[in-house]
Amino acid sequence: MTATTSARFDHRSLAAKLASAPVIAPLTAVLIGAAGVAALFSVTGGSMEPYAMRHVARLVAGFAVVIVIAVLPLRFWLGLAYPAYALLLAALAAVPYFGNEALGAQRWLTLGPLSFQPAEPMKVALVLALARYLQGVPANAMSHWAHVATALLMILVPAALILAQPDLGTAILVAAIGLTVLFCAGTSFWYLAAGVAGAAAVVPLSWDYLHDYQQRRVLVFLDPEADPLGMGYQITQAKIALGAGGLTGRGLLHGTQSQLDFVPEKHTDFIFALIAEETGFIGGAILICLFGVLLFSLIGMGLRCRSLFCRLVCVGVATTLFLHVTVNLGMVMGALPVVGVPLPLVSYGGTSLLATLAGLGLAMNAFVHRRQRLRAGELGLLLR
Amino acid sequence: MPGFESESRRHGRFTRRALLLGSAQAALLGVLGHRLYDIQVTHARRYQLLADENRISTQGSAPIRGNIRDRFGIVLAQSEERLEAAVVPDLAGDVASIVSRLGKVIAITPEDRERILALAGRQSRLIPILVRSGLTWEELARISVLAPQLPGVFTQTGAVRHYFRGADIGHVVGLVGAPDQQDLSTDPSLRLPGVRIGKAGIELGMETALRGSAGEITREVDAHGRIVRDLDERPSIRGSDLVLTIDTDLQTSVLKRMAAEDFAAVVALDAQTGEVLTMASTPTYDTASVAEGINKEDWQQLVDREGDPLVNKAIRGQYPPGSTFKMVTAMAALDAGLVTHKTRFTCQGSLELSGQRFGCWKLGGHGSVRLHDALKESCDVYFYELARLCGIERIAAAARKLGFGSALECGIGGQKPGLIPDPAWKQAALNNRWYAGETLLAAIGQGYVLATPLQLAVMTARLATGRAIEPKLLRPDHGRSAAPAATLSFDAGSLELVRQGMIAAVNEGGGTASSASLPIRGAIMAGKTGTAQVSRASHGRSSASLERKLRDHSLFVGYAPASAPRYAVAAIVEHGGGGSKVAAPLVRDVMTMLLERDPLSQPAYPLDAPTAARADAAPLATKPNG
Repeated sequence: MTATTSARFDHRSLAAKLASAPVIAPLTAVLIGAAGVAALFSVTGGSMEPYAMRHVARLVAGFAVVIVIAVLPLRFWLGLAYPAYALLLAALAAVPYFGNEALGAQRWLTLGPLSFQPAEPMKVALVLALARYLQGVPANAMSHWAHVATALLMILVPAALILAQPDLGTAILVAAIGLTVLFCAGTSFWYLAAGVAGAAAVVPLSWDYLHDYQQRRVLVFLDPEADPLGMGYQITQAKIALGAGGLTGRGLLHGTQSQLDFVPEKHTDFIFALIAEETGFIGGAILICLFGVLLFSLIGMGLRCRSLFCRLVCVGVATTLFLHVTVNLGMVMGALPVVGVPLPLVSYGGTSLLATLAGLGLAMNAFVHRRQRLRAGELGLLLR
Repeated sequence: MPGFESESRRHGRFTRRALLLGSAQAALLGVLGHRLYDIQVTHARRYQLLADENRISTQGSAPIRGNIRDRFGIVLAQSEERLEAAVVPDLAGDVASIVSRLGKVIAITPEDRERILALAGRQSRLIPILVRSGLTWEELARISVLAPQLPGVFTQTGAVRHYFRGADIGHVVGLVGAPDQQDLSTDPSLRLPGVRIGKAGIELGMETALRGSAGEITREVDAHGRIVRDLDERPSIRGSDLVLTIDTDLQTSVLKRMAAEDFAAVVALDAQTGEVLTMASTPTYDTASVAEGINKEDWQQLVDREGDPLVNKAIRGQYPPGSTFKMVTAMAALDAGLVTHKTRFTCQGSLELSGQRFGCWKLGGHGSVRLHDALKESCDVYFYELARLCGIERIAAAARKLGFGSALECGIGGQKPGLIPDPAWKQAALNNRWYAGETLLAAIGQGYVLATPLQLAVMTARLATGRAIEPKLLRPDHGRSAAPAATLSFDAGSLELVRQGMIAAVNEGGGTASSASLPIRGAIMAGKTGTAQVSRASHGRSSASLERKLRDHSLFVGYAPASAPRYAVAAIVEHGGGGSKVAAPLVRDVMTMLLERDPLSQPAYPLDAPTAARADAAPLATKPNG
C-alpha cells in the first residue's frame, strides 16, 4: 500500500491523513498546556481571569491550527519554505527601522492589528528552509563546501540580524537550531565544529556590542550574590521558591514565594518556579518528563520518515523545543543567565505559543507524509 | 543505483545522529532534573527557611507597665490604657482623604491632621502613624463599623503613665522617659513606639518587674511589604504591680515639717523590718507635671535650681556623718575589747598627734570621760583616743557591718554607696599612704567618710535591734526572704552600752540632743546628733556668722521607743549648722508623728487580693457601658 503513494502528490482523504497522524506528541503537548493552565490559574490566586482562560482559548485555537498544518499537503510546506524564510528575513532587517523599542531592544513589528517578534517564527522558518535546501542536496554532496557554506549562511544571516536587535539569547538559539539541523542532515563533523567554533568566537567579540542590561545579566548570572536586590533578586527568589516547594510541594495556590509576589515574572518566564514550589519536585519532575516524552516522540517521528525534509523538520522542531525548555529551566534553576525565554506551552504569551504549536503542526505534517519520497531532481522541477 | 545507495547511507547516518542528539537531550534533561532534585530535596530545608524569612514579619506590641501603690494602697503611678487610632499610609493610599473621612467619625484637630500628613510625607509609608489617642468606646465602635471605608486605619491599645502626689512622693517613685541609645541596645522591644523606661527612683530600680514583656504579632507579608494576614499573636505580658512600704500621708506631713529647713532629707524606717516608711528630700518637684509634659525652660529651671530638686538626697546625697558616726567607733573599740564602760580618757579640748592638733568641739574640754559621757556629750577627744587604740581597719569593719560603704539594694535606682575609707582604698583611689591623723578624723565621721541618710537610718535600726536590718521599699520584699534579719556579730553588752549613751544624749541633763526629747509622756527616744564640717572655717565659730554654703550640715539619728525600738529615723539638714539646733528638733517632730500615727499598727493594703487591686484600679480606665 505504501508503494503506491505518489512521490509528488498525496491523494489520501482527510480522514485517512488524520488516522495516520501521531498521537503521543499532540497528547503530551495538550497535557503540558493543561499544566500551564493550572499554573496560570494559581498565578492569579485561583482565578481563570485574566491569564488561564486566555491560555485555554489560545491552546484550543492553536490546536485547530496544528491540525490544519498537519493535514495540508507536504508540497505546500515545501513550497512555502523559502518564501516564508525570505519574508521573515526581510522583517528582521526591517525591525531596526520600523520596530517598537522595549527594554532598549527593538524586537516587535506591528502589522495592522498584529504585533509580533519576527525572531520567533524565524526559528520555525529556518528549520523549514534548511530542511528544504538540504533535501535538494544530493546525498553524496552533503559535505561539499558550497552546500555547507550556503547552509551556514542561511543560519548566520538571521542570527546576525537578531544579534543586532540586540538579542544575544535568541541569536544563539537560532544558530544552535540551524547547526543541529545541519548536523542531522549528515554534514561532516569538521564543518560543524568549525561553525560552532566560529560562533563561539563571535560571542566574546560581541561583548562590547551588548547592551548594558545584557552585560549585567551575564555578570549577575556569574555571581548572583553581587546584586541580590537587582537582577540577582530574580534568580535568588526563584531558587528559594523551588527549594521551599520540597519534594511534594506546598499545594496549588499555597506557594508563599509565588503567591506573595516574591517570584518575578511568574506568569511568563518564571512560571516553572511557581509550578515547582506548589507541586514540589514530583510535579516539576513530571513536567520535565512530559517534555522528554514530547521530545523523543518528535525525534522518533523523524526516524520513521522517508524523506530528509520530513526527518529534518521533526528533528529541527524537537531541537527548538528542547533548547527553549532547557534554557528556561536552566534560568529558573540558576544554572543559566536570565534570558527572556518562555517555557513552551506553559508560559503565558501568544507569539511563543503559536510558534511552538506551528512547529508541532509541521512535525505532525511530516509524520503524516512520512512515506512520501522526494527526489532531488523532482524537487528542482517542482520549484522551477 | 548509486543515488539510492547513498540515500540509504544518508538514512543510516541520520538515524545515528538523531539518536545521538536524542541521547544528548535526554542527558541534559537529566542534568536539569538532578539540579531540581538538589534544590528541592537535598537543600529544601535551607530554602524553606529563606522563604519563611521572606514572608514572615514580626511586629512587637508594647507591654503595659505595672502600677505603683503606697503601703495603704494609694495609687502613686498608674498606666492608663488608652484606645488609639493609627493609620498605615501604605495601606491607606491617599492619607489626606482617609484622614478627612476619619475626621467625620472621630474628632481630629487641625494640628493632628497636619502632624499626620507631615509624618506620612517624611517617614516610611509602612510605619503606623498615631492619629489620636484616648478614643471613647463609642468612637472605637464607629471606626470598626466603617472599617471597609477606612483602609489602613486600625485601633490599638496604648498606655499613658500617670503620677499621683508626685510632689510628695516623686523622689521615691521616680519617673519614666523615652529610652536612650544605651537602653535600646539592651532590649530591642524598647524600640516599639510609645515605650517608656524608668529613669529614676522605683521606676528605675524595679524596671524589670514593672516593664513586663513585649508581645509579638507574626504576620505574613508579600514581596511589597503589604500585610496579607496575621499568623500568630503572642500577647504582651503586663508588668507587675508594686506596693511600696512608704506611708504617703506620713511623708506629706514630714515634708510639711521639713518646709522650715531649705535643703534636707529624712528617712524613717520600721526599726525591726527595715521597711521604709518615709523617704523625704527637699526641695521637691512634681513628677506628675513633668510626666504630663514640661517645656524646656521649666525643665532647665528645675535642673539649675539651688538645692537640686531633681536629686533624692536620702539616697543620692553623700555627707560626712559627723558625730552620728561615733557609735561606729564605739562599737569597733568595745567589740575588740579595747575599752570597757569604765575606761576613761581625759579631754582637754584637743589631742596632739605627731605634731598635729585635733580639737574637740568643746574648746575647754570635757575633762575625764567614760563612753557613756562621751556619747552623751559627743566628746571628740574620747573618740580620737578610741581611734588610736583600734585603728582604721577595725572602724571600717564596724562601719560596713552597720550598713555603710555600699549601696543598700532596696529596689530604688540611683543609690550612692557613700564611702568608708581604709588604707587600701586610699592607695587605690588617691595613690597615697594612710596617715594616723586620718583615722582620728574618720572616728568622728569626718575626713573621707561619707554616708547617705538612708545608710544612717539603717545604722540606727541595726544599733537599736542588734540585727542586720536591710532597708525595704517594696511589700512583700521583692524576691528576698521575709525571715527576720540575722543577728549582727556584736557583743550584746557593747550594743547596750552604746544604746544607753544614745538615750543619755537625748534624755539626760547635759546631753547634746536634749532638744530631741519627745513631747509624748513616757516615750523615750535614743539618738545622736551630728555636725558635719563642710569647711575648716566653721570650727569654733557660730554658724550664723558664716556664709550659708560654708555652714556645717546638721544631722540627727534616733530610734524610739528606746525600750522596744519601733521606728528609726535619720535626718540631715544641709548647711543647717549644729545638729542639736536643727536636725534634732526635726527628728523629734518626725518621731512624734510616727508614734502618734503609728503606721505599723494600721492594716496595710492587702497584697493577696489581686482582684481587689484590679477593681480599685478601674476608675481611671474607660469602660464600655453595660
